[in-house]
Amino acid sequence: MKLIFVILLFFFNSSHSFEYEKLETKSGIKFWFVEDKSIPIISVSFSFRGGSSIDFSEKNGISNLMTSLMDEGTSKLTSSDFKNQMKLNGMRLNLSSQKDKIDGSFQIIASQLEQGFELFYQALNHPRFDEEDIERVRKQIISSIKLDESDLSTLASNKFNQFFFNEHNFSRNVKGSINTISNIDRYDLINFHKNAFQKNNVIIGVAGNIKKKKITELIEKVFGNLENSEKIPPVKKFTRLAKGEETYKMKTPQTSVLFGHPGLARNNENFFALRIANYIFGGGGFQSRLYKNVREKKGLVYSIYSYLLSYDNDGVIVGGFQTRNKSVYQTIKNVKNEWKRLQSKGISRKEFENAKAYFKGSFTRNFTSTISIARLLQIVQYFDLGEDYFEKRDEIINNLELKEVNEIISKFFSSDELFFMIVGEPEG
Amino acid sequence: MKLVAFLLVLLFSFESSSKKLFNAKSTNLDNGLTLVVVENSRAPVVAQMIWYNFGSSIEKRGKSGLAHFMEHLMFKGTKKHPKSFFSDFLSKVGGSENAFTSYDYTAYYQIFPSQHVEKLIELEADRMKNLTLTKKNVEIEKQVILEERFQRIESDPSAQLDESMRSILFPNHYYGRPIIGWRHEIENLSYKDVIDFYKELYNPQNATLILSGDVKFDDAKKLVKKYYKDYKSPIKLEQINLENPDLKTSTNVELKNENVKQPIWKRIYRTKSYGSSIEESIALDLGIKILAGGTSSILYEEFVNKKKIFSMIGGFYQGLARGEGYIYLYAIPNNEIDHVKINYLLEDFLINVDSEITEEKLKLEKKKYYYDSVYGMDGILKPAEAIGEALTVGISLKDIENWNKKLSEVNLKMVKKELKEFIKNKNFVTGSLKN
Repeated sequence: MKLIFVILLFFFNSSHSFEYEKLETKSGIKFWFVEDKSIPIISVSFSFRGGSSIDFSEKNGISNLMTSLMDEGTSKLTSSDFKNQMKLNGMRLNLSSQKDKIDGSFQIIASQLEQGFELFYQALNHPRFDEEDIERVRKQIISSIKLDESDLSTLASNKFNQFFFNEHNFSRNVKGSINTISNIDRYDLINFHKNAFQKNNVIIGVAGNIKKKKITELIEKVFGNLENSEKIPPVKKFTRLAKGEETYKMKTPQTSVLFGHPGLARNNENFFALRIANYIFGGGGFQSRLYKNVREKKGLVYSIYSYLLSYDNDGVIVGGFQTRNKSVYQTIKNVKNEWKRLQSKGISRKEFENAKAYFKGSFTRNFTSTISIARLLQIVQYFDLGEDYFEKRDEIINNLELKEVNEIISKFFSSDELFFMIVGEPEG
Repeated sequence: MKLVAFLLVLLFSFESSSKKLFNAKSTNLDNGLTLVVVENSRAPVVAQMIWYNFGSSIEKRGKSGLAHFMEHLMFKGTKKHPKSFFSDFLSKVGGSENAFTSYDYTAYYQIFPSQHVEKLIELEADRMKNLTLTKKNVEIEKQVILEERFQRIESDPSAQLDESMRSILFPNHYYGRPIIGWRHEIENLSYKDVIDFYKELYNPQNATLILSGDVKFDDAKKLVKKYYKDYKSPIKLEQINLENPDLKTSTNVELKNENVKQPIWKRIYRTKSYGSSIEESIALDLGIKILAGGTSSILYEEFVNKKKIFSMIGGFYQGLARGEGYIYLYAIPNNEIDHVKINYLLEDFLINVDSEITEEKLKLEKKKYYYDSVYGMDGILKPAEAIGEALTVGISLKDIENWNKKLSEVNLKMVKKELKEFIKNKNFVTGSLKN
């Protein structure tokens, strides 16, 4: 175990401080750690770059099928024995496949530490992939694909991805299609597992009631035996995102609309400026212009929002709402007008100061549970925000100038680049 | 602002049954306001929740949706803090907020840096009494709520089926009426309805204020007194809890919709709640978990693993209710199957299920229950939610704190007795969602 360095995090109230440490295991796995003695829980947040983007197209959905099988037994334990062991030890294990990564979390009650990490090791390194379990989980995914097709908002989101990401492989459904997941066999899963879970590809954050020497040994135990083969190539940048409008007709009293626009990678120097602009436009809950002008003043929607989606090496802005069929085009027009107003007039001094204050004040909410601390440590590494991010974050925000943010907005937000996916029965 | 009939797992431990669960401190003001504080100083953050002990329960005939409507309007500002001052202030300090309405309660919460606790207490107190509403506010918000109803119910066949099933299951009770309200009744709610509702019900006697996180009880008490002490409470709210008759017919409800690509079978049973007996309800909860909870339950083993009829089958018990509780079961068939056939399959199986309820399975579920309670303490909002919901449906703080003791006393015999009653229970409605 090597201790590389220690950073102290101080909140405004000096009685509250967290120590975050950068640790390395004997086989070279680096991870970030906060010792939190306030509760007898250890939480691990981890991710592997790649995710469903490395699915072969004729077997699209394999990443999702594999992660769905990770709590279905190990070489030593059948599926139901494994689940009973999880219950007996208060262990929680969740893995989910996403477009650019596999995200995971593991939690264990401190008194069951050894048993928990042994199960975690077994699950990650020696999954059972029993034929019968594969068939069962495959059927569950098929059901869930059909349920998604029956649900207006999920269907709209899938249609949006399909059109918006265009030729990029993010246009595919992470779950795959009934056809492609029917092509996957046990052998494929074993191979995919080996490729997807590589040692040089994992990012880990840990928080909880455990000593650093112990956690370093346990992280080595779980992740240390994974293979270290070729690095997964980075996901391609988005070069040809869709523009304009697409409509998918279905019979429903309300229509779901999603919109998209190019964004920025999380570690881009202008990302925080974009974040502030989005907060003011549609990200800030009850504060946003979309909320105030489309919901509060006009009553056209129940919920309307936009957010920044950050992927491994690129990002997009996505937003959406549902409204009755007769008001679809009116609401789209309102969104477009807000977008144009943002682009041409920028944001006001007051909006700017409020948004800065929000981002400074909201950060401590990350420190209220072990899993949210672990996740924060993991995310900062995933997006390569730097070892000094926690110290630098306030400085980045404080250094932003209104003029500079408005310049970025006027250059960046373009009405011509907006794409709208309309799913339902819009009238007029 | 959302509405939920959500399920909070009560956070109870049994391994150390002498230990209090939350170590919550509590006091009552002269005007009837209850204050509960759960101190936790790990991060400089506080969660404030206020729980009003009425939800759609209190609505008069023809006025369904009024409690939820009121919840939306509580964000419209007061004389001292007009328009969106409250939300603006909260955002500026980096906080977050929301609210929800259910059958038995309406709740509001904020999470924020602890240095602002006094201002947030003041703001929550202020809107209990000093809301300023305009007719225009009310009319526009009604449109928002209609859009909400369209989003949650009218565009979702599965939600329409649930709404219909509940209306049959609870023929004489507000649990049979949608929390959001029937569309035609929402459309007719007026400015006067709202104002009368607010003046009559929003007062300290009907509220429990919970502060969880980096705040001390003594400080909280002082602040809460400062901002609430002058409020008067009118005559005590009378909670009318009508009983439902036993169902004499077996009811299968069907909803066909061309957008449904995956059929679903569901069933809701009317049953006891924690209010009638905590011990029996815990036993029932454990029993339903053994029978239908998650992917290692008895039903899952039988119908998903062995018979392969369903891709998924499961269910849960919700007993945190002032009136009756309910048990919800659902199944997702792999292939086309007549829904009446599912009824027979399930009923035949349940008759002989007793021998599969074993000591070992009970032990596992009790362990999980205990560990879930530990996880429930990892955060600041979860304890406030659990205490607020339990208090509001009529469970005492003492019972909540000592839950672990009751839990440790639950044995296999009690669980079997509850399941036997459940299997004999004829008060249910079955629903099927089809293409």
